[in-house]
Amino acid sequence: MIKPLRVLALALALAAAPACASLPLGQTRIENPIAAARTLDQRAYALLHAYAAIVEEATDIVRDPAAPVAFKRALSQAERAATPAAETLGIAVRAYVQARADFEAASGETQPALQRAATAMTIAAQRLSEALAAAETPIAELEGMVRAHRG
Amino acid sequence: MSNLILQVQLLLAALSAFLPFVPEAQRTRAAAFLDLAAQALAAGSAVASNIDDLAKKLAAVRADVEAMAANGHAMTEAEMDAALARVRSASMAFRAALAEAG
Repeated sequence: MIKPLRVLALALALAAAPACASLPLGQTRIENPIAAARTLDQRAYALLHAYAAIVEEATDIVRDPAAPVAFKRALSQAERAATPAAETLGIAVRAYVQARADFEAASGETQPALQRAATAMTIAAQRLSEALAAAETPIAELEGMVRAHRG
Repeated sequence: MSNLILQVQLLLAALSAFLPFVPEAQRTRAAAFLDLAAQALAAGSAVASNIDDLAKKLAAVRADVEAMAANGHAMTEAEMDAALARVRSASMAFRAALAEAG
């Protein structure tokens, strides 16, 4: 049980931490798209596409009649929690992209208009940053779980 | 078989990355859910999945993002809408597969 939990910890770190560029699994290397992003919006884009790819693979597992029912149930619970969260992230990044476009459009406007656009963009960026940072939280939680299981 | 188990755990772990978005009361169920999955995997039943498929998909996304980062590309609303649409489409297919599986 310890080895799978180690892999679980590594995999979660890969999925959520931008510092991890990739994870070797046997002869296959799993890339972390989020690590390649340089901006908040690129990171959100990478996270959404990576999540979609994961759900696509999870679908194949669910379609397999040989897959354990309990595991399918666990995947279902995870997906039901994760997809609304991904949609929330999508809304946050869309608001940020719109605010940034408004700011750029206001660059030739009056100072008050420009200030309003800058404030809106700052708020949107903060919300997006918080949404992304929240995805990294489970790393510490999982490390605690691994330690508990080892104990 | 061990590779299959590792892949499934990778999928599960990555799904778990989104759990902090949900209310704390539900988030605390993550441990139970992970334990359940670990038990299912430990049983050693056949789980048909393809690690190469996931690796290719993630590598494609990474290449896309790398090019955007190198060019200083700012994401457009259309690109974000497409990303979110892919998530929704994948989710719908997943839930349909679950319904079919009973």
